[in-house]
Amino acid sequence: MALVPIKMPQLGESIAEATIVRILFKEGDSIQADADLIEVETNKAMMAVTAPCSGTITEMLAENGVSYPVGAILGQIEVSVEEAKRLGLDEEEKPSRKPAKKRSDTPPAPQKVEPTIPGGLPVPAHAGGVTYLSPRMKARMSELGLRAADLSGIAGSGAGGRVTIEDLERFMGSIENNKITPASPMRKAVADAMIRSWSRPLATVGIPIQLDKLLAHRKAHPAKPGPALYALRALAVALGENSAPAGRLVGESIVHPPSVDIGFAVEAEDGVMVPVIRNADQFPLDDLVSRYNRLVELARQRRLPAADTGGSIATITNYGTFGLTLATPIPLPEQTVLLGMGAGQTVPNWNPKLEEFVPVVEAMFTLSFDHRVLDGGAAGRLLKRIAELLNAPETL
Amino acid sequence: MQQAVAWPYKIRTMSKKIAPVTQSDFVKAYRVMLTSRVLEEKLAGLYRAGMIKGGVFLGRGQEALSVSVGIQLRRGDIFAPLIRDQGGRLAFGDSVLDTLRTYLGSQLGSMRGRDGNIHRGRPRDGYYAMISHLGAMIPAVTGALLARRLKGEQGVVGATCIGDGGTSTGAFHEGLNAAAVEKLPLVVVVANNQYAYSTPNSRQYACTDLIDKAIGYGVASHKADGTSLLDCLQTLRNAIHTAREGGGPQLVVADLLRLVGHGEHDDFAYLDPKLKKSAVGSDCLLSAENHIIENGWQSAEELASWRRETEEEINVTADRVRREPLPDPSEDDWAALSRPEYREQYAAS
Amino acid sequence: MITYLEAIRLAQQKALATDARVFLYGQDIGSFGGAFKATKNLASEFPGRVLDAPLSEDAIIGMAIGAAIEGARPIVEMQFADFSTCGLNQIVNHAATLFYRTNVACPIVVRLPSGGTSGGGPFHSQSLEAIYAHWPGLVVVTPATVEDAYSMLLEAVNIDDPVIFCEHKFLYYHLKAEKLPDTALPIGKARIARAGRDATIVTHGAMLHESLAAALELTEDGYEIEVVDLRSVKPLDTDTILASVARTGRLLCVSEEWPWGGVTAEVLARVSSEGFGLLDAAPMRVNAKDTPVPYHPDLWAAHRPTASTIAAAARRLLQI
Repeated sequence: MALVPIKMPQLGESIAEATIVRILFKEGDSIQADADLIEVETNKAMMAVTAPCSGTITEMLAENGVSYPVGAILGQIEVSVEEAKRLGLDEEEKPSRKPAKKRSDTPPAPQKVEPTIPGGLPVPAHAGGVTYLSPRMKARMSELGLRAADLSGIAGSGAGGRVTIEDLERFMGSIENNKITPASPMRKAVADAMIRSWSRPLATVGIPIQLDKLLAHRKAHPAKPGPALYALRALAVALGENSAPAGRLVGESIVHPPSVDIGFAVEAEDGVMVPVIRNADQFPLDDLVSRYNRLVELARQRRLPAADTGGSIATITNYGTFGLTLATPIPLPEQTVLLGMGAGQTVPNWNPKLEEFVPVVEAMFTLSFDHRVLDGGAAGRLLKRIAELLNAPETL
Repeated sequence: MQQAVAWPYKIRTMSKKIAPVTQSDFVKAYRVMLTSRVLEEKLAGLYRAGMIKGGVFLGRGQEALSVSVGIQLRRGDIFAPLIRDQGGRLAFGDSVLDTLRTYLGSQLGSMRGRDGNIHRGRPRDGYYAMISHLGAMIPAVTGALLARRLKGEQGVVGATCIGDGGTSTGAFHEGLNAAAVEKLPLVVVVANNQYAYSTPNSRQYACTDLIDKAIGYGVASHKADGTSLLDCLQTLRNAIHTAREGGGPQLVVADLLRLVGHGEHDDFAYLDPKLKKSAVGSDCLLSAENHIIENGWQSAEELASWRRETEEEINVTADRVRREPLPDPSEDDWAALSRPEYREQYAAS
Repeated sequence: MITYLEAIRLAQQKALATDARVFLYGQDIGSFGGAFKATKNLASEFPGRVLDAPLSEDAIIGMAIGAAIEGARPIVEMQFADFSTCGLNQIVNHAATLFYRTNVACPIVVRLPSGGTSGGGPFHSQSLEAIYAHWPGLVVVTPATVEDAYSMLLEAVNIDDPVIFCEHKFLYYHLKAEKLPDTALPIGKARIARAGRDATIVTHGAMLHESLAAALELTEDGYEIEVVDLRSVKPLDTDTILASVARTGRLLCVSEEWPWGGVTAEVLARVSSEGFGLLDAAPMRVNAKDTPVPYHPDLWAAHRPTASTIAAAARRLLQI
């Protein structure tokens, strides 16, 4: 007769453990598949552990009031040979361990965490050791040229869920047969910048802004400034009025920017360049057009002089040029805010005066920000001010 | 069982009886005293000129006693001198050259810069290199004599010098006691110079006379007037002879006065002026000179010319040594064990 | 069967028999055969070469030094390691400095009956490897097996430098072997007493056997612990230690000594600085408690590391 374990299931995306509240069956009881066996409580709700199959409970290891991690073995069900065949179970591994919580005089040894949980996360979310990299691990990663982020997909079988050398070697072996292309220096630089930026809590807010006035202004303008330049000027003016949103958190201080230098993203081969317009709050739009166009060209060719890049306090990115209507880009690691603009679309807009829908050209503008420095309210106010300015393009 | 390793050993014939000190013995000894005194004056001068590496500790006033020990030991004997024994060292075979080399820090000195001043020695020649912990050399010489005996050697003597202060140490007690139990031919010469650094005898021991300790250890005793070369020569001759003839350890105590500070950095301001004026405060070198002159063995002019010759020789040697190279830390092997395979391997820091 | 103590006696016998330069000196070692009978019958077998000393550790060691300068190869016995400190000055300032200062080597062997036994108390139980290892110029060995007690003592006599031979009293009669070895690892090489995979225990002396018992206990939990017997504390076989840690990633150093500046401190310092990139967890150590060794057997049993405290420490190490 085969034994099937009763395991603590993955009871929610971020759930890593649950506490036993009520045990509904005991050793010796016969149960039907899918019957509720044990009631458990997680951070979020009361749930039930159900029987994976029909049979007889030969072992009930769970204890009331005790918390077990996802994947812990809570008991054993003895099944008939037919039932085992029905489930497609081969010799299920006989468990040699009791569940993680052991009562003893000395602190109990935590159970080795199982690397994969059926239907759940590859690594239990509560696993304390997930981000731990031992000196030995770091030495091996350094040999292989790996960064911590590269390990994020590897299931950890070590203490507290951490990734062991064996896990790493197994992973490296498993990708050997895949197609492998080298990452360019640009790609590596972007990867590094994104990791550093992502170390902060980032959030994005957005509002749709009507572009009709802007487009009319542009049509009438001899130099035809790019929409991104209008957005750049609007951001510059708004930050010139209140520079706090672009401040950086250093320790317990907000360091305000010294001058309103705004960068704008330009796609170059295999990456992004960010030329900068210095003191953008002090020059009207007309004065910036030729400089802007020249910088775009240089950036595209990756011939941007050092003086024209770096040191910006905020950046514009026009992801609408890719056809995207919405995106949540990541601010540069040294900046708190990133203004994004999506593709313009003609959409119906309710006109209360005419009491009907009228077509307008609208684009989603997003502000991605370091949530340590800004909250939604301040971000929203900045966006609103930008919207105001873009609706009065002649003031830019 | 077959003896895989045998010692080389020599057997010496033993002397018959103790001869009295002759004119020749006396004058020879005086010459060594003179060299010692002049050499130490040179060392004091070099010290004040800032040319000596480390401290300088002189034996002015103790030359008669020290020379008497060194000059009456033989090749094959063991001599472990101490701090005030420049005279004895020269008498036993140490050289002015190596003395100056060691004090001036020449790379060519016998200690190769690894130890200095009065710690020098050449153990393979029976001239032991003292360590600073007083009394420690007594067990060492005792053990050396034990080894010689086990090798089958006879007629060997081991002599070591110590001060009144050193007699208070545990090592002095343990070493002399063990030598007495083994009845080894050890001669312990105590230069009772009245002070151990600044500590007068009244604060060093409570017995009436240091020589009284001999009876406690069960060893023979000899007292000497440390200011008289004649008395020192005769007393040490008796003691060494008795030890050599199997009389067991001999404790010699000579009374004298240290005529310098503890070191050249010390001005001896604590010296009791009464001691300086007393008999024990007389200068043994001057007394010896007077003895020579009064006996008509040499004239004062001749003695003066000996002094000049000696000064000249020492100055020339000192100048030569000052031109010699100093120890090079990058060339030193920095090894404390003789066998490389047992040396520790530390990662380079 | 040959006991650890008998192996020491036989080694001294062989040394006396094959090398005329060897003689023994110490308290009660003559006709009495020594406090632990380590020199039993040797005085009668080698007349005049096994001598009783007065109660004078300074003189005993000092005499050995003088004898060694004159070509002898003395083996001196301190009755207990704890009393060697009465002769400390001669060991560390005379014997240990002689070669460095005078270029004349000092081939003495100082036998220290070391380590704790039940009821020994503060002055009959000490392990002093670390303090002698601290001064330059000494070789310090800690035989943990019958075979090593024999071969390392013979090798010590042949080393031209001073050797501090820390024999463990607890092992005197507890350890037995069937025969004496023909070959041996040289002094300076550690031995893998037990091969393993999950963690390395580095140890010496009687603690070797406690560590092996702990390793056995841990196999029940599926752990395979590698145990390294240092054999000599100075020189320390850093290569073998690092190679073992490279295999296992975890280090536990166990010693019966006190923690401050002991062998465990030295091993951890070396592995941390020279093998940092090998470690999966901070290195750990287990020592006796930082107090004088207690007299009462119940207190003594808790004072020094035992198989169960070593196993508990290893479990903590394996969890990290």
